[in-house]
Amino acid sequence: MEGTVVECLRNANFRVELTNGHKVLAHISGKIRKNYIKILPEDRVLVELSPYDLNRGRIIFRYRT
Amino acid sequence: MNTLTLSRVAENQWHAIENDLVVGRGHASRRLDGRTFLSIDTWSDAVFDRLAAAMLADQPAPRYTVVDETDRDLTANWERAGFTRERRESEFVVPTELAPVDPPSGVVITTAAEAPLRELDRAIRAEVEATVGWQTMPAEVLPWQGGTRPLDPSKYTVAVRDGRYVGLVRVATRTRRPRIGLVAVLTAERRHGIARALLTHTLSGLHQAGFEAATAEVDETNTAALALFEGLGAQRTGGSLELISRPGRV
Repeated sequence: MEGTVVECLRNANFRVELTNGHKVLAHISGKIRKNYIKILPEDRVLVELSPYDLNRGRIIFRYRT
Repeated sequence: MNTLTLSRVAENQWHAIENDLVVGRGHASRRLDGRTFLSIDTWSDAVFDRLAAAMLADQPAPRYTVVDETDRDLTANWERAGFTRERRESEFVVPTELAPVDPPSGVVITTAAEAPLRELDRAIRAEVEATVGWQTMPAEVLPWQGGTRPLDPSKYTVAVRDGRYVGLVRVATRTRRPRIGLVAVLTAERRHGIARALLTHTLSGLHQAGFEAATAEVDETNTAALALFEGLGAQRTGGSLELISRPGRV
């Protein structure tokens, strides 16, 4: 799902508001980390939600702004 | 009963599937210096372990990965798979509003042209190979395999002495916060303030273009670079660990 980063948290976590208004706690994917892609507040991102906990997700893509 | 199956979906990608859901992904990528970096994204340690075992059985050692220095869970997962800490990089945010610093006498800071930039690039790469090697270098100076190495002069600011390029700064500005990818000065020209002049010139240009800050990563053993950035008021915002799985370990 698409969303917007609203807050950078400790331990490499981010608060992301999804397009449906739901906020999730998300960390970055290994591919993003490997490629030194920085995530900042207000970045538009693609989030993969956890199938076990819909309040958690993983940022798998950052849209270019 | 839930059954976890692993599937290699591409040459460098693995999926862990449970109840028709992808519950884990593994990816291997080969960098220009020949090193293979692995990443695994899962929601459970058990799935991580299964994916790691499958990937490690297939990828020749040494293998590498990168984790955030504060991500203890992920670090522990990789350590359980036989990885150990190889090096640490600090991440900095560098302010762009800086007082200008004059370059040393006889040195001019200017934009880059391709031919002399390539000459400086070759000289710097030769110095790296003869000294510290590639392992702590940023991606911008990794060896290029297969044809002419891409070099975009528009990303560079250079220091010139007597018509010869002696130092460079490379900045990527594709995102909201520019990234300083490389600062390099020829060995014979160091300790004269060229790097500081190059950086302040470049950062001032970014400030005029509307950027309030830039980012940079510095290897923790590179004391000269750490001193350079900290002297410019850079703030450490975090760090990453590079982990390695050496031959004979898993």
